[in-house]
Amino acid sequence: MNTEAIIFMALSWGSIITLFIFSYYRMFRKK
Amino acid sequence: MAGQREHWGSKLGVILAVAGSAVGLGNFLRYPAKMALNGGGAFMIPYLVALVLLGIPLMWMEWTLGRMGGQRGFGTATSIFASVTRNSMTARILGAIGILGPFIILVYYTFIESWTLAYAYFAFTGKLNTVTDQAGMKSFLSGFQGLAQNDHFSGIGVAYTFFLITFALNFYFIYRGIQGGIEKLSKIGMPILIILAVLLVARTLSLGAPDPAQPDLSIANALNFIYTPDLSSLANARVWLEAAGQIFFTLSIGMGVIIAYASYLKKDDDVVLSGLSAASTNEVCEVILGGSVVIPAAFVFLGAAGTLEVAKSGIFNIGFVTMPLIFGKIPLGALFAGLWFLLLFIAGITSSVSMIQPAMAFLEDELKVDRKKATGILGIVAFLACQPAIFFLGHGFVDELDFWGGTVFLVLFATVETIIFGWVIGIDKAWEEMHQGADIRIPGVYKFIIKYVTPLYLFAILGAWSYQQFIPTILMEGVAEADKPYIWGARLLVFGGLALVIALTVYAAKRIKTPPGGAA
Repeated sequence: MNTEAIIFMALSWGSIITLFIFSYYRMFRKK
Repeated sequence: MAGQREHWGSKLGVILAVAGSAVGLGNFLRYPAKMALNGGGAFMIPYLVALVLLGIPLMWMEWTLGRMGGQRGFGTATSIFASVTRNSMTARILGAIGILGPFIILVYYTFIESWTLAYAYFAFTGKLNTVTDQAGMKSFLSGFQGLAQNDHFSGIGVAYTFFLITFALNFYFIYRGIQGGIEKLSKIGMPILIILAVLLVARTLSLGAPDPAQPDLSIANALNFIYTPDLSSLANARVWLEAAGQIFFTLSIGMGVIIAYASYLKKDDDVVLSGLSAASTNEVCEVILGGSVVIPAAFVFLGAAGTLEVAKSGIFNIGFVTMPLIFGKIPLGALFAGLWFLLLFIAGITSSVSMIQPAMAFLEDELKVDRKKATGILGIVAFLACQPAIFFLGHGFVDELDFWGGTVFLVLFATVETIIFGWVIGIDKAWEEMHQGADIRIPGVYKFIIKYVTPLYLFAILGAWSYQQFIPTILMEGVAEADKPYIWGARLLVFGGLALVIALTVYAAKRIKTPPGGAA
């Protein structure tokens, strides 16, 4: 894969996965 | 009144139900095609911008408006809009779009959803494997749809049988209610959907370069093809419009279904983190899972030019012609094709049940019809309304319903609710309402975004889209003379339905006393 493709794939997957982990982590974390 | 209403059994249940409503056929068929055709990796920039400025704010607004309505005993936008606008009849009537819009989508969506169930059956039983070329697969599809008689099908009987099964399943879950039906379906269906999607992604990404004679047609190059950005596309307004449209369709916003679902929350149930969780679940199912099956699989078998052609051919062609052919070329292809269609069916049914719920909530909450009767009434009306969509499929009837229910009403409804939320209720009061029982605080910048940026974004979409599509579609440009009566028939169904819902809304308004003012 070329560098540009890797950067754009990492940015899009990374942002979505970060949002997903953040939301479920906060949801299941004890208040 | 509010005490008689059902509630969700758990926080995860409502999140999965909203995510199930959002994750539909579009995540696996529409999104990858849009991305491939609109700048590849560069498409992700306007897509993520639209998610942050349009999708997530609208998600929060609908969750909040829904919970506010539930506290007053209502699950539909009609009474919710009226209750925050001092019983304005105009607001109430505009809210009727949130009942009719999803119902119109349901009319054709259920039929398409039934194809996925039928194709899963054909794949598992080996019937689909007998077709090995594109012309044959197209003929198989048109025979199945009843548009042609051929060696595969002699009429629409098989398709109609699968439609009846799908229709009955939808209304079974609706009849079982919020906890016993929709929540249970989502809690079982969504994990299965994610497992199936992960399996298919793993299979696709492990294809390598299946043809030794063409080593360039590899998964690594497929990912290059998908994610290498064409930054010049960012200067094209159409790309921004497509990205915003995709965010709209994928999150089930502007339909009224999230409002209906959120109305079954309790007063202090969180809406901020729940809305974010539902949106993020949908995005994982779209960007990561949906984006990693169709286009990579098409690339390694058809190459870059062939893949672009597939992406341009529309979601029916991608899902029901290209994908079965591609699965036919890999070991255990029948199994994977069956899993693919099962995945689409689960994605479809968790969405279609949500399209019925606003009308159910309207009958139950505002016309005081009990659930059994309401299911029966809606079942009969929906069944009758589905018939022209089934039998006039080849005459533009479904496209016309999609134009109104799946496009015009969505953007219009979202614009109305954004104005009501940020300007009529007022951003300060709305902000306070959103944070009632919230598990997290929303960054303060969203006050500005919700009040100014989201409505302006929606006006820009409305304007650009009206210029590009609305007028030519209204004038039936490019429609064959023979199909025009069918288009008028679809319009009659849409506007007849709208007149009926508005009349019922006005009738219901006279029977119920809506508390004036803002927050509950």
